[in-house]
Amino acid sequence: MDATYIALAQMAVGGGLMGMAYALVAYGFQLTYAAGKAVNFGQGELVMLGAFAGISLAGTGLPYWVSVLGAMVAGAALGWLVERVAVRLALKQHNEGWILLTIIVGLFALSSVENIWGREDRAFPAPWPTGALDIFGISVTWPELAIAAGALGIMTLVELAKRYTMAGIAVQAVSADPEAAELCGVRSRSAISLSWAVSGAAAAFAGTVLGPVTTVGPTMAAALTLKAFSVAVVAGLDSGFGLLIAGIALGAAENLSGYVLGSGWREAPGLILLILALAIRPQGVFGKKIIRKV
Amino acid sequence: MNASRSILAFLLATSFSTVVTAADVVKIAITGPFSGGSAPMGVSMRDGAKLAISQINQNGGINVGGKKMKIELIERDDEGKNDRGALVAQEISSMGDISAVIGTVNTGIAVMGDKYYVEKGIVKIITPAAGSASMTQWSKAGTKDLPIFRFASHDGIQAQMVVEKALKLGFTNVAIVHDATNYGVSGRDDLIEQINRQRGKLKVVSVEKFAIGDKDMTGQLMKAKSAGAQAILIWGIGPELAAVAAGKEKLGFKVPMIGGWTLSMSNFIDTAGAAGNGALMPQTFIEDESIARAKPFIQAYHKAYGVTRIPSPVSAAQGYDAALLLAEAIHEAGSTTPSKIKFSLENLKVTVKGAIADWKKPWSTWNPSNVESHEAFRRATTVMGKVQNGRVVLADPSEKFVLAGTTAK
Repeated sequence: MDATYIALAQMAVGGGLMGMAYALVAYGFQLTYAAGKAVNFGQGELVMLGAFAGISLAGTGLPYWVSVLGAMVAGAALGWLVERVAVRLALKQHNEGWILLTIIVGLFALSSVENIWGREDRAFPAPWPTGALDIFGISVTWPELAIAAGALGIMTLVELAKRYTMAGIAVQAVSADPEAAELCGVRSRSAISLSWAVSGAAAAFAGTVLGPVTTVGPTMAAALTLKAFSVAVVAGLDSGFGLLIAGIALGAAENLSGYVLGSGWREAPGLILLILALAIRPQGVFGKKIIRKV
Repeated sequence: MNASRSILAFLLATSFSTVVTAADVVKIAITGPFSGGSAPMGVSMRDGAKLAISQINQNGGINVGGKKMKIELIERDDEGKNDRGALVAQEISSMGDISAVIGTVNTGIAVMGDKYYVEKGIVKIITPAAGSASMTQWSKAGTKDLPIFRFASHDGIQAQMVVEKALKLGFTNVAIVHDATNYGVSGRDDLIEQINRQRGKLKVVSVEKFAIGDKDMTGQLMKAKSAGAQAILIWGIGPELAAVAAGKEKLGFKVPMIGGWTLSMSNFIDTAGAAGNGALMPQTFIEDESIARAKPFIQAYHKAYGVTRIPSPVSAAQGYDAALLLAEAIHEAGSTTPSKIKFSLENLKVTVKGAIADWKKPWSTWNPSNVESHEAFRRATTVMGKVQNGRVVLADPSEKFVLAGTTAK
C-alpha cells in the first residue's frame, strides 16, 4: 500500500482508539441524563480524580487491577456526591442551576487536586507490555488497546446490568416515566443516585486507562468534557452504540485533521461536528425524535 | 482621641522598625515555575540558589561595606505562564527595596516580563532560561544600559552543539521537531541557522511543531519518518519530549533524539522511561559525584532536600553558582543598590569557585552589538549529556575534564 495511505490509516486508527475514551465519558453523560435529565459538566474532572485515585493506590504497592477497582469505587462515591450536592436541589426547584453547579464542583475538584497532588504530570504505571503491535503496517500500543477494551467492557457490562438486574430495570423504569415507576414501588431517587454512581465509576475507570497513555495531571481531562459532550450530542443521548461510532469518528477526525492540516487544527473537527449536529439533527445522529404529547 | 493617637504611635513605631530591618538585609527575589510542566527546572534552580544563600547566611551573611548583612528571599511562582510571569515581574520591580532577581526558566516570561526590571534598573540574573530571545531582545533594541545578565548555556551554543553532534554521528538528513512556544520557535531558528552554517552537510527533511499539552506526536513523527530523517533535533520541555519518545517507540522509529538541555529534565526521563534512553543534550553540569568539584554541591543538595536525584541538576547547579556570583557582586559593590551591583557583576574582581566552574569575570560591560557580554557560558564550558537508565551521564566520558577543571573564560 502507498505510504501516504498507511500514514493516514495510522492516524485514523490511533485517533479512533482514543475516541473510545471520549465515548466512555460520553456514556457517563448518557446514564445520568436517561435517569435524571441532567449531566455532570465536571465529568472530565471525575476522570482526572479517578486517575489520581488510581495512581495513589498503585503508589501504595497495590496491584494495577486493585487500584483500578479502588478508583472506580472512589469515582462512584464522587458521582453520587455530585448528584446530592449539585443536582438534586436544582432539579427539585425546576431550574437549570445544575449546569453551573456541576461546573463549580468540577472546578473545586481541580483546585483540590492541585493542592493535594500538585500540578505536575506524572506517569501512570500500568502492567501493559511496552512496544507496539504491527497490524498491517499500522502500529498499535497495548495501552491504546486497553482503552478500547476497557470502554467496550464497561459499556457492555452496564448495558447487561440495565437489562437483566432488578436495579437496572428500575433505573430504566425511572428514565421512562419516574411517576409511573414510583407508583410501581420504584424509588426514583435511589435509581437516579445509582445512575450517577455508575456514571462516576465509568469516568474514574476512563481515567485509569487513559492515564498510561496521556500521563496524569490536573489538566489531563480539561478538554475531555467538551469532547465527550460533543460526542454525546452528535450521537444522541440515548444510543450507546451511537456513542462508540461518534467517539471513534471524532478521535479519527481530530488526528487526521492534525496530520493533514497541521497540529494546530486538531480540535477543529469536534467543534464543526457539534455545530453541524445541532443544526441538522438536534436529537443526535442515532437519537430518536422525542414526540411530546400535549 | 486616645485611640487615634495610639494608632499613630503604632504606625510610626512599625514604620521605623521596617526601616531598621530593611537596612539589615539584602532582599533578593527568586522567580520561576515552581509548578507545572517546567517545575523540575524551576524548583531545582530555586533550591540550588537557596542552598547557596543558606550557606552564606549561616556564615553571617554578605559583608557589605564592612557590615554583615543577611539575605532575605522573596519567592514567586510564575507557573511557567507568560502572563503570570509578567505580573510577577511587575510586582517585584515595584517593591522598591529589591536588590536583585535570580530566575526565569521560560523564555517567553523573560520576553514578557524583564522590561519591568530594565525600567527600574533592577539587576536580574536569568537562569536557567536558555532561549536566545531572552537576551537578543535587548541587543536588537540597542538597549544602552542593561541590568539583565544570563547564567545559562544559551540556545545559540546549544544548537551549535546539537548540529555538531548530528554530524559527528554521521547523519545527513534530520527532522526538526519543536514546541510552539517562544522557546521552541527560537530553538528551531537557532538550529536552522547552525545547519545553514554547515553549508549543505546536513539537510532538514521536515520541520514539525507541537503544542504544550499535546500527548500524541505520531503525526509529526510519521512525517519525519517518511521523509527519511536519521535523527530528530528537538526543542521542547519535559512532558511533550516524553510524548515524542513514546510516539517514536510506538512507530518503531529508532532514531536518536538530540536536542536542547531540557532533555535532561526529570519529567522527560521518568515519563519516557526506556524510550528516553540515548537522548542527547548539552549540559553545563552532570550529577556525578566522581567529579571532585561537583561532589560537595551534589551531597549538600541531596542532604538539604532529602533526595537521591536532583530533578534538574543543570538548573540546580546554575541556581547555586548564580547566587554565589550575585553575593560576591554585592560584596564588591559594598552596597545593596542595583546600579552598583550591576557594575560589580560586569567587573567581578574575585574568582568565584562554584559547582560548575571557577568563575573568573564571567560578564563584561554590556555591549548591545555583542550579546555575549552579558552571557556567562561559552561553548568550551558545555558538554554533551546522555540519558541512560533514568539519569543523565556524560555522552563522551573523555569530556569529564571540562567539568572537572574548567576555568571559565
